[in-house]
Amino acid sequence: MESASIAPGGHAAEHAEHHGPPAANQSSRLESQFLGMLLFIISEVMLFGAFFAAYFFIRVVGEADWPAKGEELPVAVAGVNTAILISSSFTMHWALEGARNGNRRALRAGLFTTMMLGLTFLSIQINEYVNIGFAPADNAQGSIFYGLTGLHGAHVFVGLTLLTFATIRAFRGHFSIKEHRGVEVPGIYWHFVDVMWIVVYTTIYVL
Amino acid sequence: MTLAGRLKAPGWSRAALSQPIGFLVALGVVVGVRALYGYDPLVDWDAIITVVLIALPLAFLVGIGCFDYWFRWASGAPTVPEDHSGHGARSWKDYFYVNTDHKVIGIQYIVTTFFFFIAGGLMAMVMRAELAQPGTQFVEPNTYNGLFSVHASLMIFLFIIPVFAGIANYVIPLMIGAPDMAFPRLNALSFWMLPTAGILMLASFFADGGAFATGWTAYAPLSTETPLGQTFFTIAVQFAGASSIATALNFLVTIITMRAPGMTFWRMPLLVWANFTTSLLVVIATPFIAGSQFFVLLDRSLGTNFFNVGANGDALMYQHVFWFYSHPAVYIMMLPGFGIVSEVISANARKPVFGYRMMAFSLMAIVVLGFTVWAHHMFVSGMFSWLRVPMMITTMLIAVPTGIKIFSWLATLWRGVIHLTTPMLFALGFITMFTLGGISGIMLAVIPVVIHVSDTYFVVAHIHYVLFGGSVFTIFAGIYHWFPKMTGRMYDESLGKLHFWLSFVFFNLTFGPMHLVGVDGMPRRVADYAEQFATMNVIISVSSFLFGLSFLVFLYNMVTSWRNGPKAAANPWRAHTLEWQVSSPPPIFNFDEVPTVVGGPYEYGVPGAVHGVFKEKRGAAVPAGGGGAPPPAE
Repeated sequence: MESASIAPGGHAAEHAEHHGPPAANQSSRLESQFLGMLLFIISEVMLFGAFFAAYFFIRVVGEADWPAKGEELPVAVAGVNTAILISSSFTMHWALEGARNGNRRALRAGLFTTMMLGLTFLSIQINEYVNIGFAPADNAQGSIFYGLTGLHGAHVFVGLTLLTFATIRAFRGHFSIKEHRGVEVPGIYWHFVDVMWIVVYTTIYVL
Repeated sequence: MTLAGRLKAPGWSRAALSQPIGFLVALGVVVGVRALYGYDPLVDWDAIITVVLIALPLAFLVGIGCFDYWFRWASGAPTVPEDHSGHGARSWKDYFYVNTDHKVIGIQYIVTTFFFFIAGGLMAMVMRAELAQPGTQFVEPNTYNGLFSVHASLMIFLFIIPVFAGIANYVIPLMIGAPDMAFPRLNALSFWMLPTAGILMLASFFADGGAFATGWTAYAPLSTETPLGQTFFTIAVQFAGASSIATALNFLVTIITMRAPGMTFWRMPLLVWANFTTSLLVVIATPFIAGSQFFVLLDRSLGTNFFNVGANGDALMYQHVFWFYSHPAVYIMMLPGFGIVSEVISANARKPVFGYRMMAFSLMAIVVLGFTVWAHHMFVSGMFSWLRVPMMITTMLIAVPTGIKIFSWLATLWRGVIHLTTPMLFALGFITMFTLGGISGIMLAVIPVVIHVSDTYFVVAHIHYVLFGGSVFTIFAGIYHWFPKMTGRMYDESLGKLHFWLSFVFFNLTFGPMHLVGVDGMPRRVADYAEQFATMNVIISVSSFLFGLSFLVFLYNMVTSWRNGPKAAANPWRAHTLEWQVSSPPPIFNFDEVPTVVGGPYEYGVPGAVHGVFKEKRGAAVPAGGGGAPPPAE
């Protein structure tokens, strides 16, 4: 199991890979990648905000029935799905702790499990679309239901893509105790996707 | 290089190849999905074109090479130096390829956006030709609607917003003592998304049913029912918006994490402050226009009912979501200009900026208040009537921080040693014109007035006073001010002054009379008008042609000076900010040695005051190695 532990200092190739401009003065304790992801998440929250504004106008201002008459939302199934997605945040944390402690097996297993949980979430979501019994074109409630859950599904997909990159790199021997931003930054995004789902689930299914 | 090699390497050959591939993929996706769902007919060109419009720009971005580094990185393969596209431009041809140098990207931005400025300007000329007389002369009403829609969209999304990003791209890393932006490859990607958005908008003229004709505001449900051209707008805005968000994020990270030692927030030049606050607005607000256009696109292509009142949708919701972005967007189009004017006025009046901290605070105040006024665009839309008065009050309130800035500039000028250079003339022109535009803005905030003049030429006059007399004048000021830094050459001062006076006079003759016809009730966005407005309109049209011609003076000056102008000194304006302390154009990584900032940026006239120092030598350093911008060859 020579790959189960990582020497501090990490993958030699990563240091030879820098070709860009010389290092700038660090004027903040925040890392640029971390800050960049944070700002990106702020703009993502605002994009969800636009969709929630549509939801608000249709359901609250327009006083439309929710869900539309004769339709039903699978609150319990989606609740199980919520639990699946939330648990993936914990496995993501497991992977990151693995990277921080040099435990390569935990890193790989954590990333892989997170991806599998994310994929399970997406498949249950797609199955729900197939069996829910109404279409986005039926009425505005359907439009915003598919709009919000679809927007979130697209974010799960983006998060999964980022995780795929991290997983490939983890299995190819990248990341070390010192250098694991490639796990940390997608991880932040993944946690954001999970938290956003809790908001979407609450407003769409529960309330 | 062999053909196969060229098709594998990033560049225009691969970009050309990417287009048919992108088209086939889009075609396959649409036909495949329709087959899966059993739709009839299998080949629906409206659906195919919608997907093609998304696929082709993405394929182009892959082909030109924006993603090469990330593909290698993501697959865990070793990256190569070519991924970074070198740094700096060695010849004019390098400007046509993906490059990660912020100085190259800055110039790419500025030149590209001016191309769209000219395109949008020519459309305005056609409109004025049509409006010179009542009746129909040159263009059909529907074409006219397309012209003013594309004109406004190009000017806003492809000129004013991105040209400021271009100027800031060039200047900000230099100003804060950084070697580049925080994310150089993201910076390149943001640039290359822009031309794709612009070309989509221009290409809409060739769409079935003509260009999108719903104005740049694209109000639903009109925009969900118009012909195919609207789809071009909807998708183009997504690309322009993504570009804008990515650049803003990049500026914020750069300004927060890469400032030179000693460059505290209260020692930053006001241009840096201005772009910091603008970027906050962009990151927070732009997703809302993305959302509004997603709804329109979904309503158009998937038949959803966001705006279909018959199916519980809400048509007015579009305006709320749209203006929640688009009102902050007017500050996105103005705050960077405020920054430019602060730099120009201070350096040319040889005085510190009056109330430096209040200038920064007022920027922040505008950011906050900018989010509280969106519904003043909707006073006659039939929205909740209780929202009107609060919006009127916040709108008037936002004139306070703007007023602080105007008076601070005036106080900066007070007893200064004023040098009337071209950038200074444009900055002074900006103050007067923007104040006039601000006053008509206050009038438009007053509900009884706006109910009378809404959708008349009064609004057209107002927006051009703030966006041309305001923003574009600051853009000209900025271009003239940093031209020597960017090109290493000096522009022709007398041609610059001629350009200023021609544009200042004919600007006022064009847009001033519009206030009058507007108050008299001439509606905007109509190709024809009543006989009684004929005299005024012919005056406006003739002035507008002369106004358009004045731009040629600028263009001639820029092209000839870039090629043959006299060599510029490192610091022709004797300014204190860091970008002037390196050679013109700056060395390839900006600073051979990171400067240390020891004082404020505008201590003009204060004996012995300096902003930044280099360890070895103070003042103008002349480092080895070129970089930056060569003159454009024929």
